[in-house]
Amino acid sequence: MTYIVKRLGQGVLTVFLTVSTVFILIRLAPGNPAVAYAGPLATSAQLAQVRKQFGLDQPLIVQYGTFIRQLLSGNLGTSYSFQAPAIQVVLERLPFTLTLAFASILLAAIVSIPLGVWMARRTDTKKELGVNVVSIAGQSMPDFWTGILLLSVFAVVFPILPASGFATWAGLVLPTVTVAILQVALISRLVRREMAANLAAPYLTIARSRGVSERALTWKYAMGNSAIPVFTALGTRFAAMLNGVVVVEVVFGWPGVGSLIVRALATRDYPLIQATVLITALLAVAVQLVVDLAYPLLDPRVRLGKASAS
Amino acid sequence: MTVPFADHQVSRRSLLRWGAAAGAFVAVTSLTACAGPTGLPGKGTLTLALNRSLVSLDNKLNQFDAAVTVQRAVRQGLTEIGPDITPRLVLADRFELTAPTQWTVHLRPGIRYSDGTPVTVEDVATALEMYSKVQGGFVASFFPEFPTVGKIDDSTFTLDTKKPLPVLDALMANILITPAAANKPAELQGGVGSGPFLVTKFNRGAGTYSLRRNENYWGEAAGVDRVEVQFLAEESSRVIALRSGAVDVIDSITPDSATQLQGLPNITIQRASALRMNQIFFNFRKPAGHPLANAKVREALTMAVDGHALVHDVLVGSVIQADGVVPPSTKGYVKTGEYVYDPAEARRRLASLGATGLTLKIIWETGEFASDASIMEALAEMFGQVGVKTTLQEFEAGGDISTWRQGRGGEWDLLGNGFGGPTGQAINVLQGMYAGTAEKERTRDTYQGYVQPAVASLIAQASSEPDEKARDAIVVKAQQAAWDTWPCVWQFVPKSILARRTRVQDLALSDSNSYPLTDVHLEG
Repeated sequence: MTYIVKRLGQGVLTVFLTVSTVFILIRLAPGNPAVAYAGPLATSAQLAQVRKQFGLDQPLIVQYGTFIRQLLSGNLGTSYSFQAPAIQVVLERLPFTLTLAFASILLAAIVSIPLGVWMARRTDTKKELGVNVVSIAGQSMPDFWTGILLLSVFAVVFPILPASGFATWAGLVLPTVTVAILQVALISRLVRREMAANLAAPYLTIARSRGVSERALTWKYAMGNSAIPVFTALGTRFAAMLNGVVVVEVVFGWPGVGSLIVRALATRDYPLIQATVLITALLAVAVQLVVDLAYPLLDPRVRLGKASAS
Repeated sequence: MTVPFADHQVSRRSLLRWGAAAGAFVAVTSLTACAGPTGLPGKGTLTLALNRSLVSLDNKLNQFDAAVTVQRAVRQGLTEIGPDITPRLVLADRFELTAPTQWTVHLRPGIRYSDGTPVTVEDVATALEMYSKVQGGFVASFFPEFPTVGKIDDSTFTLDTKKPLPVLDALMANILITPAAANKPAELQGGVGSGPFLVTKFNRGAGTYSLRRNENYWGEAAGVDRVEVQFLAEESSRVIALRSGAVDVIDSITPDSATQLQGLPNITIQRASALRMNQIFFNFRKPAGHPLANAKVREALTMAVDGHALVHDVLVGSVIQADGVVPPSTKGYVKTGEYVYDPAEARRRLASLGATGLTLKIIWETGEFASDASIMEALAEMFGQVGVKTTLQEFEAGGDISTWRQGRGGEWDLLGNGFGGPTGQAINVLQGMYAGTAEKERTRDTYQGYVQPAVASLIAQASSEPDEKARDAIVVKAQQAAWDTWPCVWQFVPKSILARRTRVQDLALSDSNSYPLTDVHLEG
């Protein structure tokens, strides 16, 4: 319990530092929210009014104090462009991002773990080399290109899947596959490396000599010892996706957080940027915490808050 | 005994089982999804994919072209800008200038909102008040002053101004009427309107709207049952969505996409001239004695620009070269001159005017108009041919270009810029660009520092001239006077391009790059 409290404390500090840094950086960046809001034809007087309305005429330290006070009361301000509570705008989009991230990471795990194991069992063979080449190609393909290619094939040439949006569950397939392709390439190579090292370890030779089946050797012994790095990688990739898979969201018209933050940056919508960063930072910290808490379940030798047993 | 969390009995075996179950769930749902509908629009449903997110169905703050199409399907004004770019009556059946500073308006009998309540004079008065109160409103910037409402009876009222406002009927096309109790000095998200459609579902964050035919509509019923509005920022995705049949209409597409779609079965391209002028505008804040402060130098520089090559080679025929200072589609436009390409003459004139060894800095914001960077690079090349050096600076969208435009960011000579004219009136375009005064310039509120008293005086005269013929004559003079100052090294008018599935019928794309949704029908 002490460990969890300590990690929660670290998480709160991380989130606080993140939002504070973003608060300052976006205000130091070029651009003027008042112009983005009122348009290029607005007069100086109108711009001054807008700046006053948004509190942008105040010194930075005063703006920061107001921001912190609002943050502590759960208020992240009103989005300039949506004219609605920023947190509400983000929460409207969050389910889309979570759905895509969950589906993508699950698909990546389902494909990459068996693939990595298969490659590890065939290390330095022509088959492994072939799969390796394909996975490197998958890793090298830009999301944008993969997405457009999949759209052209499955929405235009063979129109069996929707081209955009999330009107039906079928709409989830192409964005999920596009995101998962890169993840599969990364994670399968990690699984391969971990499994290859474990499959060659002396303890496995001893287990084999005792008549343990190959299946048990692979999935129970070797995978058991590879689980933590693989699970950590999956957690990290998942946390990264929560910030939005911007390119994929844009290509598929996926109404997630990634495309929202792009828009917020373009319009210098400070409250919306801050709300998006806060929510995604909270989620990323939560995911990392869950990953850490899962370690003892994956490897009984691990005790939280203590050095791992060797 | 309390078991510590870390020692809690969840075995690795059960963890793997849960993992396998979750994997199976995803696999099954994915397969189910594959077997399900592909998201193609239904028989009576029209699906539009916009290139910008529609934040609301109100226009107090934002009004881009395609938004007009959707906003007017739900909310209406007393007037609207018709296909011929003249105001036509909508909620009003009479809108007449009855005194130099007074218009008399009569509401159409029987008009009501989608909830069955009538449109009232109070709704109009409240709408004007709300538009005037919103800070930095897009529509408000076109009103020199907001009229006050004088109620005569339940259906008749006057719109009174302090100074003559002879184009008020056009300006009022931008004031959308909402029940007074529901109106606010901000963009309304949902709510009730008097248009041919009503909103059944929306997600402003995602920019999606579901509209259904308004069965209580006071006019002729809409031709389609439902309209689905999507937001697809990426153009290639919109093109694919159209090709796949997932959407019926995509608008504001580039010439490249139009070329790609041209000739494909089931797809039709429509084009219209735009009410927008794109310009490479001179910086008019140069001190006396600076070469660019001399209209003859500016004219000589225009001769270095091969407009024909820019139109046909860079912009592949998607624009027309301007021959005036306002878009040709605007009411009151007149041809005032031509851009002549003659680099030898440009070089000779620059030399005779002592403007040799010029270096020009051209600035623009990314996405100001299609192929902006290519145009600027081509201009740099053309200026080089007459001995003028150039430096180019591109600003990211939302960046600091506004500060530069006001002369507060740094020195520049030419600005790539676009100016829209949503009222369709030449006078409003002139007011926006060429009516700068010394007083306005003190707060840097002129258009790139353009202060030409003779031009501003003509525009002011036209703005307060109630007689239409006399006003039109002054507007013509003002355009010629503005042209003669050589404000731009080059100008062009873009064409609006829309692509639709051929099942979409009766879509009348107007020069304002919008179309009445109520007229659209679906084949089959």
